[in-house]
Amino acid sequence: MRDSDREQVLGGLSRRELLRRCGMGMGSVALASLLGKESVQAATSSLNPLVPKAPHFDQRAKRVIHIFANGGPSQVDTFDHKPMLTKYHGKTLPGDHLKTERKTGAAMRSPFEFHPYGESGLEISDLFPNVAQSADDLCVIRSMHADVPNHEPSLMLMNTGFSRQPTPSMGAWINYGLGTENENLPGFVSLCPGGVPIMETQNWRAGFLPGAFQGTHIDTKHTAIDKLIANIENKRNPSDLQRQQLNLVQSLNRKFSESRPRDSKLEARIQSYELAYRMQMEASDAFDVSKEPAHIREAYGEGLQGRQMLIARRLVERGVRFVQVWHGAGQPWDSHNKIKQEHGRLAGECDQAIGTLLKDLKQRGLLEDTLVIWGGEFGRTPTVELPTPGANAADTKLGRDHNHHGFSMWMAGGGVKGGYAHGATDEFGFKAVEKPVHVHDLQATIMHLMGFDHEKLTYRYSGRDYRLTDLDGEVVHDLIA
Amino acid sequence: MRAWVLSSLMCGVWAWATGTNLAADFSKQQLEFFEHTIRPLLVERCYECHTGHGAKSGLKLDSRAGVLRGTDYRKVVVPGQPEKSALLFAVKHVAKMGAAKVESMPRKGDRLSAQAVADLTQWVKMGVPWPEEESSEEDPSLHWAFQPVVRRSLPSLPLLKGASRGENGIDAFVEARLQQAGMSLAGEADRRTLIRRLSMDLIGLPPTFEQVQAFVEDESPRAYQDLVDRLLQSPQYGERWGRHWLDVARYSDTKGYRGGGVERRFIYSYTYRDWVIRALNEDLPYDQFLLYQLAADYLTKESQDKKDLAAMGFLTLGRRSTADDDIDDRLDVTFRGTMALTVSCARCHDHKFDPIPTEDYYSLANVFFNSEEPREAPVIGAPEDSAAYREYLVKLAEKQKAVDDFLNPKLDKLAKKFPNIANRRFQLRAKLERVEKRELRKLQGVLDKFVADSGMEADRALILQDKAKLRPGRILIRGSRSRPGKLVKRHFLQVVAGENPPEFKRGSGRLEMAQAIVDVNNPLTARTMANRVWQHHFGQGLVRTPSDFGLQGEKPTHPELLDWLAVKFIEGGWSLKNLHRLILNSATYKQGSVNERGAEYVARDPENRLLWRMNRLRLEFEPMRDAALMAAGRLDEGMFGRSVKLTARPFTQRRAVYAYIDRQNLDPVFGTFDFASPQKHTAQRPYTTIPTQTLFMLNSPFVMEQAEHVVKSVGLSSLKDEGAAVNLMYRKVLAREPSAQEMRQALAFLANQRGLASARDNQQTSTAWQYGEGHYDEGKKQVFFSSLSNWDAKSKRWQPTAVMPDREKGMGYLHVYKGGGHPSNDPKHGVVVRWQAASAMRVAVSGHLQRRSEKGDGVRLRVVHSRLGLIREQLILGEEKKGFVADGVEMKKGDFLDLVVDCREGSNSDSFTWDFDVQGSRKWSFADGFGGPGRIVTPLENLAQALLCTNEFMFVD
Repeated sequence: MRDSDREQVLGGLSRRELLRRCGMGMGSVALASLLGKESVQAATSSLNPLVPKAPHFDQRAKRVIHIFANGGPSQVDTFDHKPMLTKYHGKTLPGDHLKTERKTGAAMRSPFEFHPYGESGLEISDLFPNVAQSADDLCVIRSMHADVPNHEPSLMLMNTGFSRQPTPSMGAWINYGLGTENENLPGFVSLCPGGVPIMETQNWRAGFLPGAFQGTHIDTKHTAIDKLIANIENKRNPSDLQRQQLNLVQSLNRKFSESRPRDSKLEARIQSYELAYRMQMEASDAFDVSKEPAHIREAYGEGLQGRQMLIARRLVERGVRFVQVWHGAGQPWDSHNKIKQEHGRLAGECDQAIGTLLKDLKQRGLLEDTLVIWGGEFGRTPTVELPTPGANAADTKLGRDHNHHGFSMWMAGGGVKGGYAHGATDEFGFKAVEKPVHVHDLQATIMHLMGFDHEKLTYRYSGRDYRLTDLDGEVVHDLIA
Repeated sequence: MRAWVLSSLMCGVWAWATGTNLAADFSKQQLEFFEHTIRPLLVERCYECHTGHGAKSGLKLDSRAGVLRGTDYRKVVVPGQPEKSALLFAVKHVAKMGAAKVESMPRKGDRLSAQAVADLTQWVKMGVPWPEEESSEEDPSLHWAFQPVVRRSLPSLPLLKGASRGENGIDAFVEARLQQAGMSLAGEADRRTLIRRLSMDLIGLPPTFEQVQAFVEDESPRAYQDLVDRLLQSPQYGERWGRHWLDVARYSDTKGYRGGGVERRFIYSYTYRDWVIRALNEDLPYDQFLLYQLAADYLTKESQDKKDLAAMGFLTLGRRSTADDDIDDRLDVTFRGTMALTVSCARCHDHKFDPIPTEDYYSLANVFFNSEEPREAPVIGAPEDSAAYREYLVKLAEKQKAVDDFLNPKLDKLAKKFPNIANRRFQLRAKLERVEKRELRKLQGVLDKFVADSGMEADRALILQDKAKLRPGRILIRGSRSRPGKLVKRHFLQVVAGENPPEFKRGSGRLEMAQAIVDVNNPLTARTMANRVWQHHFGQGLVRTPSDFGLQGEKPTHPELLDWLAVKFIEGGWSLKNLHRLILNSATYKQGSVNERGAEYVARDPENRLLWRMNRLRLEFEPMRDAALMAAGRLDEGMFGRSVKLTARPFTQRRAVYAYIDRQNLDPVFGTFDFASPQKHTAQRPYTTIPTQTLFMLNSPFVMEQAEHVVKSVGLSSLKDEGAAVNLMYRKVLAREPSAQEMRQALAFLANQRGLASARDNQQTSTAWQYGEGHYDEGKKQVFFSSLSNWDAKSKRWQPTAVMPDREKGMGYLHVYKGGGHPSNDPKHGVVVRWQAASAMRVAVSGHLQRRSEKGDGVRLRVVHSRLGLIREQLILGEEKKGFVADGVEMKKGDFLDLVVDCREGSNSDSFTWDFDVQGSRKWSFADGFGGPGRIVTPLENLAQALLCTNEFMFVD
């Protein structure tokens, strides 16, 4: 085959050159306009749903890293300091006893100490000393609340806005709205080591949106690229042979198109072969943390969490729109027992990695338009969980039950106020009482930061215009810088 | 003002729904008072929340009808009676009207001024004046889809001068519209195109080369009709069109998420899928087809043969959630599926657009509320009488015993405690402790899993049946069980049955509901299905919202044609095959996918709504996969039975319609290829083109496996030359022979591939690594390398021959595995691992080598560059572990590095372990890259795969 067949020159730039640039963030809107071909434009804009799209208004955040402390981290042991708990330690709390999943008893003080950090003096417990170094970038919401104290519906609410119906996840919605900045990588990646959280892949599914928006699950326990993304590598067809093969395919495809003019679907598929070919290289590159200098790798830490936070940064750096980083399979933060040891261990695994991520993003200028979100599906009770026969009777307890009445989350970067604590729980940290922020409000705010009116980013399905926030949600402007 | 009019048009269907569009006469002054005082007030202070689809509490203040209707819960304005109008209490911030609570309004901004309150009060006193023209809205009962299906006469002939090419009525309607637009059909497609189109369309498989030739050469005038008939009679027709219906039926083999060890599989879901395939193959009339799916329990009551009970999987195979959500799922699949009506929208409020009041929803919900699954699904087949089955029964009894042994003593104890329900085991079970219940669920889960895994049980049908004791239903306000509203009777939809529809009389009413759906006077059912059939033949329906014929749906592109088809469908005895024949024999269907005046037409009708050409269609996931298997000569044409995992290896060769569909964790490849989401009913699959689809074609083990088999099936050894092989491969994959130019191109490709491959000298394994034996020749400064050809799959290692120690070649224990290896006793035959650079780069190779024994004289590691010779040497003498590094190594494209480990002089205890990697443009870890005979593809395989990757393979003209 002659080179001229292969490198069809379009608008002065070779196809390959265009695709290379496209991979570097130019996006295919630019590609289409450069090609100036009606068919190509139609192809990339109507058939590839991941083409970059404009939001409703100026966006503060272009991409999201959502660190999911699945299981439900305890607010009174992390970001919501409650000295009153020490005073009431071992005593019954005054006032109405709020109902949670299991029976809880007396108040239990936090085994962790809190200290003020940064110029803002945000109080953070000893569980997160590294994260605390970025206190002045944190926007802590202390008045979060959800609907029920059970994992399954709360995970669904946090991720999809609906507790029961299988609707699209937030990452899918945002990709639906914005498309991707890098077509050589999936637009929505969910990192979860060792398996899947409860509710499994439903946490990142596209629901009724096209499958192109579904989250790609990466089991970060693995390091080999072919175990991370399906079909990303072909060990049996070396790249020089495959390139030749692809050239043949494309030549046959162009011949096929000659007698079938003006078909954007044919053209789109031709292009998607080139994208796929490039994706093989770029994806391998994105997940290969060994390319990072040693001092960076050390700063993130040796463990799994260090590696996956570093992968997260490499992904957003390359234009992946939405990266979710799960602590692990199942519900690791679900410390019904021994909160001191359990939360101590969990935070020990991730604090350094998250702290470094924040600093690293900031140092690279990425934090400005990358929204980092940390939190679980709910929080935990300030009261001690009572032993349940059969469930955890054998344990000495000293753990906390689920709590949807009030909990803490934080955000950083992406246009949020730094060094700020929003709202408050009651004096024991049980229930959000001041400026309560429902999960739908948080989602509305995230969508706002991404440039969307959450009520207007809708998709018609089953006779109804669905949106992330169901029928609720108000943007919390106080959170925005 | 403008915005107001728009929103009022958008949502103003209340007039019909509430029947309160009293076009009262108002004086000019009253109307002016409204326009100057009231309307601006409403716009400014109320419309932020109370207009449009998302109006708060359902209260819309943008039309008089909306004002009079009130919220979803109650009226807020009584014309002429301010003291009974909650709206006025709200703006006055008076919290109570009688006993009823009133929320203060507006919630945002300041309170209304005293003057504004007075104005509103005055307005209510006047009787709520509102100009008439704006409150008169489209009467939804006049919407096209709710009108009776009319027998349409064909457009009169003069319109058709010079156009009609047959007597098919379809063409008359289509050509009439084209003529009006000054356009015409494309010419008829050639025979080759037609047979591929028909075959893909009707059976989801491409024709073979021989079938194409036979059809092209068939001179019979009935050749085309005969082909249509042959394909319709093929059992594979049911597999293809059955899958279309399974999209509608949101078919899945699992219930969705279940925690706590509860079994998720339905276990018998396949009996429904098989029933659908059989019913379509037998051309069961469509009305019967629906009746069985909704009410087979009634229809088979008197019959010995219970097989048709399987049809009710249509209702039962949905996602399982709460009882109310399950009912909603069944209503949704029923009414969007059969009548293209979004009845589900009326669950929380009257339908916002279509004339479906909440009362209708709960009336029908009560039909399903009074239908339940029996505790044991009825058996509809005989178990296999075999030793395996008897063995299964023994094991099953053991598992059952584990459940019983746990449960029975506890129930006995409870029976003593609650003597009045001592014999009601299920009621007693409800009294178990929470922990006991959890344990019971787990044990039952183990049992269910065993049953599901074994696949030994006789077929069962997943049915609904009427509850023994029927209970009336209530409206649930806002869909909430904690807010029951008024009682409802079970009856059919008012939009079809008219006001005050007769109450269902038999049991739950499910049969009567089904009969009302298939009643020939139902305007929606025949139209909906005729449209679905059209949609699959043409890629787009005549109505492009195939499951929403309501006011928010699209209007038909050819309304008369849709009616004509619906009439033909019913008159043809609801035969789907007759309907297919009618459509397939039209010139409209037979036209080519390119119109010679396309360049001009595309500007006028870019979406091809007028059908001036055939739509070129891309294969869906299933036919794509099945066609690849067929090209490889490996398609298993066996029908029916339990679902098979499509993506598990070794890959099944069954058709994709038999795929196991896991609702909770569907393999992402399904979504990648736009498969119908099994969460809910799918009217039309999405269409996307994304690189992960093409990655599948290029790299998936599945496609590569088929390419390999295409080559195998060609039977190379018996062929004269490569040209013959190319020719056969074209026949198998594309059902044609290559052109002379394509042949030249293919041969050149094969030669080029061989050129690249020979430069590699590696037919063994993965891209970067090769495993061999040999030694470093110090004189020639190069490594003598020979590939190890034997893979021991059990020990996962490469070795010289099948047996170890090797006597045939005298290499003894020589082998290499992921973590290390062993050289032979001869320093000339050491272990050699070769890494080849795919592009120019500077690399570092580093790692560790370790021995576990003190004995002997140790081993020697050498790192050798293909051009530069020896670059690093390391001896491991005792029981020790040593690191080695060679960095800054310049590699040109195609250069390689050899790591040679030999035994030195002595042959004692030379077993070694190692780990190392090459760090260049990326990291190549030996351990990660190590693998068995992932043999490099051959040039012919790459050619076969290229053909599978083409648009010609993937699209149907």
